[in-house]
Amino acid sequence: MAVIGKTGPARRQPPRRIEISQSIIQIFLLGMVVVAIFPFIWMIFASLKPFKELVESRQLLPETWTLRNYDEILGRVNFYAAFRNSIVSAVSVTVVSVYTSSVMGYIFSKYRFAGKEVLFTIVLSTMMVPFAVIMVPLYITIANSFGLADNLGGIIVTGFYTAFGIFLMRQFMESIPFELIDAARIDGASEWRIFFTLVLPMSMSPMSALAVFVFLVNWDSFLWPLIVLSSQDKQTLPLVLAGLRNLWWTRYEMWAAGSMLTVAPVMLIYSIASRYFIRGIAMTGLKA
Amino acid sequence: MTSIADGGRAAGRAETMGVWFVVKKTLRKPQFWFGFTMIFPLLIWYWIFSFGPIIQAFRMSTVAYKLLDPGNSPFVGLGNFIKIAQHPLFWVSVKNTILWAVYSFIFHLPLAMLIAVCLSKVKRGRNVYQALIFVPVVVSLVAVSLLFKMLMDPEVGQLNKLLSSIGLPELQWLSSTSSALPTAVVIATWKGLGFFVVILTAGMLNIPSELYDAGLVDGTNPWQQFWLITMPLMSHTILLVTVLLAIGSLQEFTLPTVLFGSEGGPGNSTFLYNLLVYQEAFLDIRFGTATAASLFQFAFILTISILQIKLLRPSWTY
Repeated sequence: MAVIGKTGPARRQPPRRIEISQSIIQIFLLGMVVVAIFPFIWMIFASLKPFKELVESRQLLPETWTLRNYDEILGRVNFYAAFRNSIVSAVSVTVVSVYTSSVMGYIFSKYRFAGKEVLFTIVLSTMMVPFAVIMVPLYITIANSFGLADNLGGIIVTGFYTAFGIFLMRQFMESIPFELIDAARIDGASEWRIFFTLVLPMSMSPMSALAVFVFLVNWDSFLWPLIVLSSQDKQTLPLVLAGLRNLWWTRYEMWAAGSMLTVAPVMLIYSIASRYFIRGIAMTGLKA
Repeated sequence: MTSIADGGRAAGRAETMGVWFVVKKTLRKPQFWFGFTMIFPLLIWYWIFSFGPIIQAFRMSTVAYKLLDPGNSPFVGLGNFIKIAQHPLFWVSVKNTILWAVYSFIFHLPLAMLIAVCLSKVKRGRNVYQALIFVPVVVSLVAVSLLFKMLMDPEVGQLNKLLSSIGLPELQWLSSTSSALPTAVVIATWKGLGFFVVILTAGMLNIPSELYDAGLVDGTNPWQQFWLITMPLMSHTILLVTVLLAIGSLQEFTLPTVLFGSEGGPGNSTFLYNLLVYQEAFLDIRFGTATAASLFQFAFILTISILQIKLLRPSWTY
């Protein structure tokens, strides 16, 4: 049995049937890829067309190439501020929550203290509560007790801990043997040193997966920023982009240019690091 | 120095002061201080930003919340729950949300399974296909909404131009009461499918190939392989996907809001439940009824999730 491994060439099927079914699979997947990608390609070119052509033409490629859409939109809407706000909030939430998730995952997995399981269960059960339930009281807390209404801080501070991240990191930390940590203790390493120089480097793979996940969720977050941030220069990219609908009612070339400005940075990161994105999602699926 | 002396004395009186001795011993452990400095902020944060607001929500749902003087809000018992149930758009939004969830299942699950099966079987280019199919997941949902609103414009949109150029009748897409909701779910599916495909593919690649080899020896065809090997071994992953789909689709907010604004589409046809909660809370500023509405949603989602887990969880593991 062991001989027929995953890499073994030993699938006994008539070779021709494999070839036919393989080419059907390839064609189907290719079709799915076109469906997934084509709207973007259309949008790239749409953002380079003048309005009249965008509305009338059936061609994918523009007849008149123009960058005036981008000029106009950057003149009217402060995309730089929105971009900065999005980066600041998504990156700080990601850094802090990945750190807190690893620490708490480690403690929930390797420490013994009274009430540990109860605390863990309570923390996890907060995941079951829909966001709509807490959005009003949370807004009141943020606005009245912290004075963070219309402030990026209100977005950032509510993302410091994630129950899902703690759960994911605990699942992973279970696989680190106790013996390793005890050995470090006997060698006289402090608890801080054990965590930062032994446990953290071992957890890089689930941490990067979690980081990707948290970043995506926060970069795309809409409802909570919509509630907290009201003034134009404080808003994040999704809010500014959604505002284009009211600013230019059916100026589709403006929509396309604005969407491109929002999508391009993430696509750039994705084209370099797509494998981490996918591994991240796959790993969260397998562990959860 | 003092700590050693203290320890000695405490040990001497261990029989009479057992608790104090244990406390002192714990306090001196390095683990204690590390654990304490990490758990303490967690407790504070969860109290302020999670448990606190949840408890607050239950309290708020029973009072007529006064914005300027919250301490003196009069108690109305179940009044808010009755009031929200009588809201003219309450049942409309409930119906729309359930329809949205049902369409989500119909559009997501079979297609995601099919793509995942193909991805797990394909011999060349799996990573490239997966990376490209995943692209819509990475893109901002707001950009996706705008993109499809452009493509689906009934007069100037590219989709209708495409349909008419191959001789098919033009469709109303997002502009008619009957097709707006399913069309919006199609957009949601286009955006979300890659996420589920990746989870399902990972699950399928996790199935040991020996099982398929054994199946081949027994003479199974691909159809039997799928139903007798893949499906049973995937049941945990499929359960995860259905629960995530249900939780996500019952809380949809962004897509209908960006597509149609907070009124929810032609003839309220995409006015979902979360739009109702948002409208009550932040447009009509009725915090009491809004939290009452959200607690209905909480109860409903909890029930659905428990039902799914009870019905779909396999009684065995592998």
